Amino acid sequence: MEFLRPATWAEALAAKADLPEAAPIQGGTDMMVELNFDVHRPAALLDLNRVAELTRWTAEADGRLRIGAGVPYARLIAELGDRLPGLAQAARTVGSPQIRNRGTVGGNLGAASPAGDSHPALLAGDAVIEVESAARGVRMIPADEFYLGVKRNTLLPDELIRAFWMSPASGPQYFSKVGTRNAMVIAVCSFAIALHPGERRVGAAIGSAAPTPRRARAAEEFLAAELDWDAPLEPAVLRRFGELATEAASPIDDVRGTAGYRRHAIGVMARRTLTWAWNDLRAGRTERRAG
Amino acid sequence: MTVRRGAVGAPAPRVEGLAKVTGSAAYAYDRPVADPVYACPVQATIARGRVVAIDGGAAAGVEGVLAVVTHREAARLADTADAELAVLQSDAVAFRGQFVGVVLAETPEAARQAAGLVRVEYDEEPHDTELRADRAGLYTPEQVNGGFAPDTDEGDVDAAMEAAAVTVDRIYTTPMLFNNPMEPHTSVAVWGDGGDEGGGGPGEARLTLYDSTQGAHVVRSTLARVFGLPPERVRVISPYVGGGFGSKGMPHAHNVLAGLAAMAVPGRPVKLALTRQQMFSLAGHRTPTIQRVRLGAGADGRLTAVAHEVVEHTSALKEFAEQTAVGARMMYAAPNRRTAHRLAALDVPVPSWMRAPGEAPGFFGLEVAMDELAQACGLDPVELRARNEPEVDPESGRPWSGRHLVRCLREGAARFGWEERAAVPGTRRAGRELVGLGVAASTYPYYRFPGSRAVVGYDGSGRYTVRIGAADIGTGAWTVLTQIAADALECPLGAVRVEIGDSELPPATVAGGSSGTASWGSAIVAACHAFRGAYGTEPPPGAEAGADMPRDPDAERFAMHSFGAQFAEVRVDADTGEIRVPRMLGVFSAGRIVNPRTARSQFIGGMTMGLSMALHERGVLDHRTGHVVNHDFAEYHIATHADVVDVDAVWLEEEDAHAGPLGARGIGEIGIVGAPAAIANAVHNATGVRVRDLPITPDLLLR
Ligand SMILES: Cc1cc2nc3c(=O)[nH]c(=O)nc-3n(C[C@H](O)[C@H](O)[C@H](O)COP(=O)(O)OP(=O)(O)OC[C@H]3O[C@@H](n4cnc5c(N)ncnc54)[C@H](O)[C@@H]3O)c2cc1C
Repeated sequence: MEFLRPATWAEALAAKADLPEAAPIQGGTDMMVELNFDVHRPAALLDLNRVAELTRWTAEADGRLRIGAGVPYARLIAELGDRLPGLAQAARTVGSPQIRNRGTVGGNLGAASPAGDSHPALLAGDAVIEVESAARGVRMIPADEFYLGVKRNTLLPDELIRAFWMSPASGPQYFSKVGTRNAMVIAVCSFAIALHPGERRVGAAIGSAAPTPRRARAAEEFLAAELDWDAPLEPAVLRRFGELATEAASPIDDVRGTAGYRRHAIGVMARRTLTWAWNDLRAGRTERRAG
Repeated sequence: MTVRRGAVGAPAPRVEGLAKVTGSAAYAYDRPVADPVYACPVQATIARGRVVAIDGGAAAGVEGVLAVVTHREAARLADTADAELAVLQSDAVAFRGQFVGVVLAETPEAARQAAGLVRVEYDEEPHDTELRADRAGLYTPEQVNGGFAPDTDEGDVDAAMEAAAVTVDRIYTTPMLFNNPMEPHTSVAVWGDGGDEGGGGPGEARLTLYDSTQGAHVVRSTLARVFGLPPERVRVISPYVGGGFGSKGMPHAHNVLAGLAAMAVPGRPVKLALTRQQMFSLAGHRTPTIQRVRLGAGADGRLTAVAHEVVEHTSALKEFAEQTAVGARMMYAAPNRRTAHRLAALDVPVPSWMRAPGEAPGFFGLEVAMDELAQACGLDPVELRARNEPEVDPESGRPWSGRHLVRCLREGAARFGWEERAAVPGTRRAGRELVGLGVAASTYPYYRFPGSRAVVGYDGSGRYTVRIGAADIGTGAWTVLTQIAADALECPLGAVRVEIGDSELPPATVAGGSSGTASWGSAIVAACHAFRGAYGTEPPPGAEAGADMPRDPDAERFAMHSFGAQFAEVRVDADTGEIRVPRMLGVFSAGRIVNPRTARSQFIGGMTMGLSMALHERGVLDHRTGHVVNHDFAEYHIATHADVVDVDAVWLEEEDAHAGPLGARGIGEIGIVGAPAAIANAVHNATGVRVRDLPITPDLLLR
């Protein structure tokens, strides 16, 4: 097997164009497991670890954050936890400290597992994935359009993920995950919520409860229409939100949990995270008024 | 005769601790050997049938490959009576994952790559891997593990159940479970002749094995038989072992494979390490169990009937019958008692020992049933057990050497805050969590196996060497035996050096059955006394004396068992059913505790394994393929640090006057016994949901 080690982004793109079947490797926390278990044998490995740009993040002129695909979870938590609290919460639940030191959002996107923990937070927070090829340049893909099927994404063979873009949180954000143990666990199911009080809108997404991570569209639309942003949360609204989130799921039975349990838990997490976020929002308002 | 107190009872740090944490302790595979060859097994991909063709051509062509050995090339073994060890002797496949070949190469990478290129064609036969209580072909084994009778029947259980004021009659199940010591099973085998390392003359084949085992001597005697060598010409070296839990208690197929592989490259050491995935089919496992427990009692909770009937599996290749119901024979007083074991011989890997075989799964059924009985009688579960305390061993009629179960229960209840337990399940809440407390009793027999011998030598400069072919698999044996010898010789700890883990040392029984300290320790005490008897306190340089483990007349006169009380607090998320175990406490009565530091690790290690059994561990066998699909740590979950919060163990200060010169009964296994039941009972107390099938997962707790 060939092992390619480009030193720059341009070289990486060129290498991928030359040998589209080369498999990129960043943290290796998915890739090395797959190689070890002989899940597949790529013709070549394209090691991105020398490409320094991928490990940087910047605040862009339009106010958004552009985060290199190779920024590991540990740094995301430490450096961006205040601006991307939902994603940071998701990152904290990934694997173990060792995995968080190596693993990246870029790799999570590359693997596109329905159970990947970053996805619901990316979806709820309106992330946009920046991908690039030597031949056609940059494509900006909303997270919502990025996932195609179980472990399939919309990347073309000559493309690499450069970064993801996200606005700093404009309101409370939460991520919730049910697992069968407290660490080192693939989600049985997960849920993320992001409040956008300025736009009177809520982002909501589910993980590990459908062939792909997905937005809970009907639930989002329901809240956009029904939520009274200046009042306490109405129990009926909360209940309906939970139901609609559950309806977004199309889960299966597997060793980690039953489909019925997943549906139930999605409803619980939807209600729970919305309640937390709402309480934060109102507490924040009260604090501001008091202060 | 008891030994002087001094070193024994002190929390001495591990004598080999520094070597282990600095990485200088060479485990079997780390052992530096000259010019090693690496072995990678080829495993069967069918569950039953025959190998009809093997094409090793592509494998042989990989650079660095030295040999591809299959049943066609492998040397014939001298003794194939043990079918598990009859490796590469025929074309038959008895379970998926069985060895059908091995590739030898200059590097592990080349060996592995080539192993993947070996093409095997099979004539597949229908296989049968599914255990059910209603299946055809269940049979009664001649005996169950430990040499116990498979069935017992006293009085009339059916009539007693009929007449009982209160009854429990339930089925409890435990899944297929896998030992997963941190260090995988490894063997480094080298064939030489007598010219190399003494013993035997030149030209006489001689096998040296650096092995990860719980008993160098048993590996030696078994391999000697299998390879047709006199035992003196087999040497097994195993000073450091990274855990075993029973899975390294007897030689398995990989030991033989390493020996066969090394025959193909004479004079060169062959290194074989099973991968984690391979361990799931080759290192033994715990059978799944289907347990019917029936309890009959008066309204006051006094038992009139106890029946524990178990269905479990074994491998069609070789029988191993877990003694799941044996604990129920002695645990509680009841005039009518029945136990039974029925086996299905399936096309599955060979089951074997896993920490507390018998008691660990059996006390899930029995102790959850006791909790159900307490509930049915409206009694506190601690009180129910106290009311059923037998005066003498119900099975043998012998007096107990020391049965302090009730003290353990009461002491634990006081320490744990048992009075906070809600009498009505599902009624105690903290925020969004339901809180419950649970208790279960545990026990483990006192075993002292004959066959160990210790030899004490003096070097003339104030230092004593104590030699015994025992094993420290992480238990602390190394340290504990040093303490025992120091006290028996009446000298400081630092004056004693213990040598273990080598079959060249005097014989020692296996590190199993929680018997090591009692068996090896009493041999050491006898040897030390023989030494002092012969040479007094001023021995000449080179003085040496040895002794066999003395017989233990009390073992025939008393019923000897350790006991314990396990307490658990669980918190269950009322909406998602997620389960946390913030606290566990074990109170044990195990005779004298030789080293509180290493003993505590054994107890809490066992309890942690019990927590893992309660909530996480489950082997999933795909009956279409005979394959354990979750055969790695990604999918076979074991408790992580984040799941284990506050696990504490304490013990009664005591000495069992009948348990040999040390008064110590063994501590390695009792910690796992009862722990899963305590958690299941706490889950019931928290939620009102009775889970009778392990593991307990969130989906089971939502109604
Ligand atoms: C023990 C363990 C525990 C884990 N626990 C979790 C968990 O709790 N939650 C979770 O979500 N995941 C978990 N994972 C999976 C893994 O850690 C994550 O998916 C992680 O985000 C992968 O990142 P990486 O940088 O290591 O990816 P890599 O393994 O390097 O790559 C993963 C995939 O992405 C592709 N890729 C990488 N970078 C790029 C790029 N720039 N452009 C295009 N394709 C790219 C690779 O080709 C590959 O297909 C765990 C893994 C292990 C081994």
